[in-house]
Amino acid sequence: MKPRHFQILGHYLILCALAVVCVFPFWWTLVTALSSEGNIFAFPPTFWPRAPSLENFAEVFRAIPMLSFYKNSIFIALCTVFWKLALCSMAAYPLARMQFRGRRLVFGLILATLVLPSEVNFLVNFITVTKLSLVDTYTGVILPNVVTAVAILLLKQAFEEVPQDLIDAARVDGASEWTIFSKIMLPLIAPWLATVGILTAVEAWNEYIWPSIVMSKPDEFPLSVGVLYLRGTFGSSTRVIAAGTVLTILPTLAAFLFTQRFFMRGMDGAVK
Amino acid sequence: MKIKILLTALMAWSLTAQAAPQKIEFWTFSMKPKFTPYFETLVHNYEAANPGVKIEWIDFPWDVIQSKLVTRIVAGTPPALVNLNVPWADEFARDGLLTPVDALLADARPRYLASTLEDLTFNGRTYGFPMYSNVAVITYNKDLFKAAGLTHAPRSMDEELDYARRIAASTGQAGLCPALSKIDGLFMQQGLAVIANGKAVFNSPRHVAFIQKLADTYKAGGLLKDSLFAEDNFPAAIAAYKGGRLGMLLAPPTAVPRIESDAKDIYAVTDVAPAPLGPTGIADGGWLVHFAVPRGVDPALLPAIGKFARYLTDDDNQLTFAKQASVYPAMAHAANDPYFTTLPQHATPAQKAVSAGAVSMPHSHTLYVAGIDDYDELKRYLVKAVEAGVTGKQDIKQALDEAVAIWNKKLARQSKGHGA
Amino acid sequence: MKLSRRSLAAWLFLTPALILLAVFSFWPVGYGSYLAFTDYSLIRPTSWVGLDNFRYIFDNDMFVGGLKNSLLFLLMVPFVQIGALSLAVLVNNKLPGIRYFRAAFYVPVVTTVSVVGIMWGFMFHEQGALNYVMMSLQLVHAPIGWLSNDTLALFSIMFVTLWRGLGWYMVMYLAALQAVPADMQEAAILDGANRWQRFWKITVPMLRPTIMVCTILSVLAALKAYQEVDVLTQGGPMNSTFTALYYAYDQGLKHLKLPRALAASFIVSLFCVSIALLCLRYIRPKHR
Repeated sequence: MKPRHFQILGHYLILCALAVVCVFPFWWTLVTALSSEGNIFAFPPTFWPRAPSLENFAEVFRAIPMLSFYKNSIFIALCTVFWKLALCSMAAYPLARMQFRGRRLVFGLILATLVLPSEVNFLVNFITVTKLSLVDTYTGVILPNVVTAVAILLLKQAFEEVPQDLIDAARVDGASEWTIFSKIMLPLIAPWLATVGILTAVEAWNEYIWPSIVMSKPDEFPLSVGVLYLRGTFGSSTRVIAAGTVLTILPTLAAFLFTQRFFMRGMDGAVK
Repeated sequence: MKIKILLTALMAWSLTAQAAPQKIEFWTFSMKPKFTPYFETLVHNYEAANPGVKIEWIDFPWDVIQSKLVTRIVAGTPPALVNLNVPWADEFARDGLLTPVDALLADARPRYLASTLEDLTFNGRTYGFPMYSNVAVITYNKDLFKAAGLTHAPRSMDEELDYARRIAASTGQAGLCPALSKIDGLFMQQGLAVIANGKAVFNSPRHVAFIQKLADTYKAGGLLKDSLFAEDNFPAAIAAYKGGRLGMLLAPPTAVPRIESDAKDIYAVTDVAPAPLGPTGIADGGWLVHFAVPRGVDPALLPAIGKFARYLTDDDNQLTFAKQASVYPAMAHAANDPYFTTLPQHATPAQKAVSAGAVSMPHSHTLYVAGIDDYDELKRYLVKAVEAGVTGKQDIKQALDEAVAIWNKKLARQSKGHGA
Repeated sequence: MKLSRRSLAAWLFLTPALILLAVFSFWPVGYGSYLAFTDYSLIRPTSWVGLDNFRYIFDNDMFVGGLKNSLLFLLMVPFVQIGALSLAVLVNNKLPGIRYFRAAFYVPVVTTVSVVGIMWGFMFHEQGALNYVMMSLQLVHAPIGWLSNDTLALFSIMFVTLWRGLGWYMVMYLAALQAVPADMQEAAILDGANRWQRFWKITVPMLRPTIMVCTILSVLAALKAYQEVDVLTQGGPMNSTFTALYYAYDQGLKHLKLPRALAASFIVSLFCVSIALLCLRYIRPKHR
């Protein structure tokens, strides 16, 4: 049995070493955020906070509109989730459970967007958004990201797991498609909706490039953009920047730790 | 449902927000958090004196303001005034993205330092309200000077290089650390044009001779080898000076207090003099920051904007700002304020630096090569060529010739089909 | 009758999503490609200029250098894939606390790129953590300019992209590993195969589709990398960390040279679509 124990120990050691590499930047940032003495450009670094205090965090709230940033991020995330779930499920349902003319075509088009490199679209979307007067609006931030092929495909899969007979029975009963959709199908795929919802929320919360293009008033920045505004404003006050960074990651980390299985499940679906 | 209503309301609100009367939005860069009180007071006083006008102040980090400005210009909702530096203004003006302000300068025009307005005049029209500038002074280590038998500050580039060689010979320390990654500005200060009539001309015999002098000084150990050609060699230069390894330092006056706090022993033997003017009479280290008016600003609003801009950059405000930021005002009256021009009996080097800079300020110009797209790319070739020549890796004339050829090829391409 | 009513209903369901897709996913492709051949600007009416923009960018160091850098990013792909697969294998068990390790590896993925830029900016700083550790261990004697040295900066950025991506692919591989039927493994154990043999002869072939998909995604991501450049170095030092798409971002949004920016992104799209199509054609027969 001894070699087996060594094996397990070795296994853990390797895992720990790798985990350290992944997690170290977070740890170091936290340490810096909690330190309060020494040169304000707090190098050389320490691995444990020097004179720990929450002073830097207070400074962050004083210097930049942090609460606004939180509010804006929450707003964007909620709206994105709502619209995405609504529109993508509406699109997925016919593809999964209805026969209609042009089905193949639509499905092909949606698959095509997977192939199209979407990152390159930001330039034209920028022009489009300005022409639609959506600059400096949250609508402009949310709209381009609301419909994605991945979400539609995931939800399509979810719908396909609902037994056909349920739908047939409802149709025989004369229920309209909208009733079937909203009263039967949606509740049945609730876990999938939750998964897609959480993945979307995190993605929307973390989005940086597009909101930074669309929004130009610092008060209206979401957190992801605001934290860089903090870095730009404070330049060399490493500790304050670190504090702002910690405040930005905390919500995501917390949400992530509580909903870990949704991420993993989402990946399962994607793999299929 | 509620969210839908919220969204529509938000969109409607944001669209109507632009119709607010007499609202002036002005942007600065890198002013927060240090100058927040200054600007907030300024805005408060102006609003009190001008009821019916609402001023909004937004500050951005330096590296972000360009793209934000571009976004707003494209969207048709530009800010009324925006802080820019001269090379940016040159590019934006060329691309038609700025509004000329000649009419708005009105009677305030003569009060600005002529050199600053010149910097902002492109194709005969002026594009900004000068706000502040910087200028270099030369600090030197008296001990190293004495060891080399030097008695006074250098008064020309030739003297600087000569001194550097002598310091190296007698003390083994370097004498000078010019920012050779900005060789284009250096050329221009010495009266050696970089381009003329759309063609690169920096391989003329005079240019070669100048680089030769630099190369000779380098060989003699007079130039600090550390980071000589780095994009920003100032940290290395000031570190060397603070460590007693550099005889002369060309720096803005704000650097002198840093020497005081980090290296008291060197500070004690430091003296300061105005930086030598080149044969063009231009002082080194000029960097003008001003307020420009972007394209697409509501023409009806222009008079109000002009009035505010003149207030923003008037003598008193410029003086207050300059004192706080340790820079120089761009208004003649403010620049000649006793704060800058008079020296107390036993002036410290820091105080001497301030007044030395004031002497040079009217001669300060922001030196850069104007009118070229993607200038960074071209500059890189020039810097690499100069590096090869100065360090002796390549024959100077040959290196410069090659760089000129590349420049001319690319410049020809640019003038043909100017993209946007 | 029923058929056409249902068709109508289907289309009603689909319309909002399709409109948004049309405006924000399809329109940019077409319009962007068109604009790349014009001199679109705010102040002049647009006119066709053919290949001028492309000629300009291919003669421009920043774009060509950026393209080279984007191709250099491909070097990362094997490391990311092998690394992610290894991580997946390492966490594919029921050891106590394994959940925490999986979370630790995935955390970089759910961190927003601006925060990643700030944190790694700290790590890579001349007086930052990385230099501190290396100097304490006497590995080097002077601080290394991870982000200020023109040759090194790009690789530092590549490392950050790798750090961010590992967890994402790990989860994909994990899902695939867990889908490997247990009975095949058991049969192999009975046959006397050891761990290595089981891994290479059973697991890996079963993982093939996933490996293919992940590799393609990784390749595409490498070619399109630019966000990390924006938050870490903004293209510096001396424009050495430009990537093709960062050039498009910089030219388009900082200098408003939209035709050139669109020409650059057109080239990137071309690369991506070609690779995607090539791979689809290559995998399809085997996948079935």
